[in-house]
Amino acid sequence: MQFYLSVLTLTLITIIGVAGVYVLTSLAGMFSLGQAAFMAIGAYASGILVVKLNWPFLPAAILAVLISVIIGFFVGLPTVKLRRDYISLVTLGFGEALTAILNQMTGLTGGAAGFSGFPKVISFPIVLVAAIICVILVAFFKKSKYGRQCIALKGDELAAKAMGINVPKVKMIAFLFSVALVSLSGVLYAFYVTYVDPTLFGWKLSGEWVIMNFFGGVSSLTGSILSAIILTALPEMLRFLSDFRMVFYAVVVLLVLNFKPAGLLGTWELTPKNVKKLFQKKKEGTHASSGK
Amino acid sequence: MLLQVSNISKNFGGVQATKDFSVTVDKGEIVGIIGPNGAGKTTIFNVISGVYTADEGSILLSGQNVTKLPQHEITKLGIGRTFQNIRLFKGLSIIENVMCAFDPQSKYSFIGSIIPTPKRKAEEKRGKELCEHYLEIVGLKDYINEAPENLAYGYQRRLEIARALMCNPKVLLLDEPAAGLNPTEVGELTELILKLSKDFGFATMLIEHRLELVMGISHKIVVQNFGKTIGVGTPKEVQNNPAVIEAYLGAEEEDNA
Repeated sequence: MQFYLSVLTLTLITIIGVAGVYVLTSLAGMFSLGQAAFMAIGAYASGILVVKLNWPFLPAAILAVLISVIIGFFVGLPTVKLRRDYISLVTLGFGEALTAILNQMTGLTGGAAGFSGFPKVISFPIVLVAAIICVILVAFFKKSKYGRQCIALKGDELAAKAMGINVPKVKMIAFLFSVALVSLSGVLYAFYVTYVDPTLFGWKLSGEWVIMNFFGGVSSLTGSILSAIILTALPEMLRFLSDFRMVFYAVVVLLVLNFKPAGLLGTWELTPKNVKKLFQKKKEGTHASSGK
Repeated sequence: MLLQVSNISKNFGGVQATKDFSVTVDKGEIVGIIGPNGAGKTTIFNVISGVYTADEGSILLSGQNVTKLPQHEITKLGIGRTFQNIRLFKGLSIIENVMCAFDPQSKYSFIGSIIPTPKRKAEEKRGKELCEHYLEIVGLKDYINEAPENLAYGYQRRLEIARALMCNPKVLLLDEPAAGLNPTEVGELTELILKLSKDFGFATMLIEHRLELVMGISHKIVVQNFGKTIGVGTPKEVQNNPAVIEAYLGAEEEDNA
């Protein structure tokens, strides 16, 4: 029971991270291979404030997210004005540099041995509430003027500019919103697991988040969350395969993306209207078949 | 003068796409640009709307120099355009496509974009009403929630016009709006362009190969060939200009034969 609860909690934390990457990758079309570095900043910054400087948790968490956003601003500055492929390179470089720094600054971060001593202030209900709130915020963002401008510039940057869209500004807003969410997931992770080390936050994790977004659906938030659940739970459920489980995982991802290039749900979103439509279609379908 | 383009030139590597191009367009006026393929017509639009910055020359919009401004700021100052190869936003419905042109003008903050504040609701409502208004003008009111790729070609062009109208243009640039349309649709489009020009009073610039359209509605026509202007005047004057007949109309007749 304890095991399943912890898998569930970690899945919810992943959902927050994936929701952040959703804003960046699925909405604005920017591929970051360094988003996990902002998770690290959230975890380490809040950890240093609480463990080393004896701050209370809540202000430390808020300041940690703020620090991530400020660092994100400087990382984003050169990337948002460049062509979008460059963001992968810049963020990859930034992410790997950051893990190297965390490894080296042994005095402050514990280096490769990891940072421990986090008080366990985060529990399942808090993560659940946080995940729900984050997903709702992202859903509102998608339907807002910035969400639409993101989708527009992802499709056609030149036409977006011709409509008066300030492309670098909108990209920056998406990037920083993504950074804030991802870094919050880092804070929650650190104070739930009570231990972090630099290897957790490499490009592999960033890449996994991008995969989850594509696996779930090109621009479907529902799909991204669904795939975060499936792809986090899958390796856990496949433990009996031991060494072969990652192979199996890769095969599942490849099969889905091969046969459904738009991802599991494509662009479909879970909204009352769409659910109603789905049922209406089903009914029409049965009518048609019974008519025959 | 509303739009004053003076002596603009644009090179790509060694290719001179546009050389020493000048034109003035006033309120309510329709100016046509014609010329064979590769004459640099779209380059002129791209320079005016800020996709490219002119190597030389200047562009004044209501007296303000917009030559070096970024594209989105030029749009905000009042230049709306459509594209030769239709460029609608995939993944957004028809009304959302038009809404994208409203969004840069929409006045709510980041907070409003993640929680539904009253300000957001009011602005979204204002935008939606404007969208519906412009979509009605171009005759797309019945399809607002469809995906743009489901529309017939002619309707996609109309959607681009609605989107350009949402930018509150003082100058509307239409890049081959009749390309791919059948004769009936060309007739309807001609009426639409004349109606818009009259109702909104903006300056219109029109690149077009369909001579029946461009000769029928333009007050003034500029003929381009190999990046250079070879004739300017009323449709009648242009039709009788020997240089134009040789370079453009003559060639077209051969094509037809």
